[in-house]
Amino acid sequence: MSYCRLSGTTLSLSGQWSLARIADIDGELAAAALPAAPITLDGARLQGLDTASALALLVRLGSAGATIAGLSGVNRSHARVIEAVRARMDGDAPAPRRRSRRPLAALGFAAVKLGWKLHCHLEFLGRCVAALGELVRRPGRLRWKELAAQIQHVCLEAIPVVALVTFLIGMVLAYLFGMQAEKYGASIFVVDAVAIGTSREIAPLLAAVIMAGRSGSAFTAQIGTMRLTEEIDALRTLGLSPMQVLVLPRLLASVFALPLLVFVGDVAALAGAMAISGPLLDVSPLTFIGRVDSELAFRHVAVGLAKGAVFGAVIALIGCRAGMTVGRDARSIGTSTTSTVVQGIVWVILLDALFAVLLQELGI
Amino acid sequence: MSAAAAIEIDSVVTRFGAQKVHDGVSFRVPRGEIVAVIGGSGSGKSVLLREIIGLMRPAAGRISVLGTDVWSASEDELTALRRRFGMMFQDGALFSSLSVFDNVATPLVEQARVPAHLLGPLVRLRIALAGLPPEAAAKMPSELSGGMRKRAAVARALALEPELLFLDEPTSGLDPVTARAFDRLLRFLADELGLTIVVVTHDLDTLAGIVDRAVVLADGAVIAQGTVQDVMRVDHPWLRSYFANHGT
Repeated sequence: MSYCRLSGTTLSLSGQWSLARIADIDGELAAAALPAAPITLDGARLQGLDTASALALLVRLGSAGATIAGLSGVNRSHARVIEAVRARMDGDAPAPRRRSRRPLAALGFAAVKLGWKLHCHLEFLGRCVAALGELVRRPGRLRWKELAAQIQHVCLEAIPVVALVTFLIGMVLAYLFGMQAEKYGASIFVVDAVAIGTSREIAPLLAAVIMAGRSGSAFTAQIGTMRLTEEIDALRTLGLSPMQVLVLPRLLASVFALPLLVFVGDVAALAGAMAISGPLLDVSPLTFIGRVDSELAFRHVAVGLAKGAVFGAVIALIGCRAGMTVGRDARSIGTSTTSTVVQGIVWVILLDALFAVLLQELGI
Repeated sequence: MSAAAAIEIDSVVTRFGAQKVHDGVSFRVPRGEIVAVIGGSGSGKSVLLREIIGLMRPAAGRISVLGTDVWSASEDELTALRRRFGMMFQDGALFSSLSVFDNVATPLVEQARVPAHLLGPLVRLRIALAGLPPEAAAKMPSELSGGMRKRAAVARALALEPELLFLDEPTSGLDPVTARAFDRLLRFLADELGLTIVVVTHDLDTLAGIVDRAVVLADGAVIAQGTVQDVMRVDHPWLRSYFANHGT
């Protein structure tokens, strides 16, 4: 199939010139070796011409340095298409390219961005505290319904998964400690290790990680979508504070819920350890419970629960803040949600390490 | 079926639960014309549009677009048909994480075999055909005004060189000056490029200014169709109040 033939300075076009065949048309135009001279277009045998193929023709003519001297036998609608395209060609404007930065400049930009981010974090924290203060002055402003709904989602619905995970980890710990302790005939100390270890460290960490994944991400996605659909702006114009309506219920629900989940985790982990201690270490459930009662001081459990409250607050703050600052497109909700989960887990572990050192120094 | 019709709609019935939205809607859209579908809110204009482009199945009736029966065609035939028409959704429905350039380039990259050196010029041509300035190419949809977003959506709808263009309320939410410029764009596309255009609209100025033919939906049926003058002469309560409220 031939689309064009050059004879002298006349380019004869033929056939269907359409977007579907643009690769072939462009190939033939390239092969035709157009001269850098005025060219007459002969369209007597042209059956169809769309804007894309007209563009291909004009681009090839332009890059060969040729010009259109005139049209012969081109019907009116084809001539109009050529004219419409020619009027809108933008010469050789290059595609917009992103500026690339040198390493030092990139470092500087990153530093400024980080500083700005910290500034915004601090500002958000301040707003939260202000909103809390407002709530203390006027307790009637608390959204009980929203708070209850959040507690349902953050706490009640998370109980099965938290219980399952901590139960299994309790079993694994008892098994691991048991293997070692048995060598020294110290099987009973497995109970001490599991009881103190899970209530102080494992249960709060696991519950917090699960909450960051389940609820922190949900906070970001919910609030982010509301921001995208201008619901947050609508709240503001109705005289409602997004802080009071959206952020505080989530924050309070998380602070309340995570210690409860930690407690569920404590019990489940002990149950897991107890389940495996009987067959593996010859520690009967009764002995196990007696040992927990005598060895697990209340302060260990209290430390775990207190850490739960702090982790809950941190996860809720990170999740809500990320939701309030998403960009106005679909992808940024995804990246913000991911970053909430990652930041939540990293901050929980950092704080946990800080607690370990601090409580050690305080002797608790 | 005459070859001149781009779209033929034959006794379409649509139900949402017990509610009947369309009860035997029939009309034809001739090639190369701008046809407006008007009607009150809830008269099922947008629903009809979704049925024509194959997004929603009517309960009964036949819809034929460019000679293909939309609801008995195979998936392959439907895909081939979809390349021959473009659709502008009410709020643009641009891909929010892509720039305008990439939005327009997406159908070209996915559906057409365009030589690499032509892709850039072709996308810029589409953007210019839709009446956007060249700088708009680099912008993200969230950085555009409402009118520009609609134009960018038209540029994307034009990407694959459609024979048929559907627009859902193209001038809603635009100021009158921008809206009339948009009308001129549609007239240009129909006259210079030979497109058939179906536009769902409330805008009486669009109707009076650029439309070749109007179809009026009310009470689940077509109550009037023909040129705008023909439609204005039809005596129906909804039409009377429609034209009276607009003061023309």
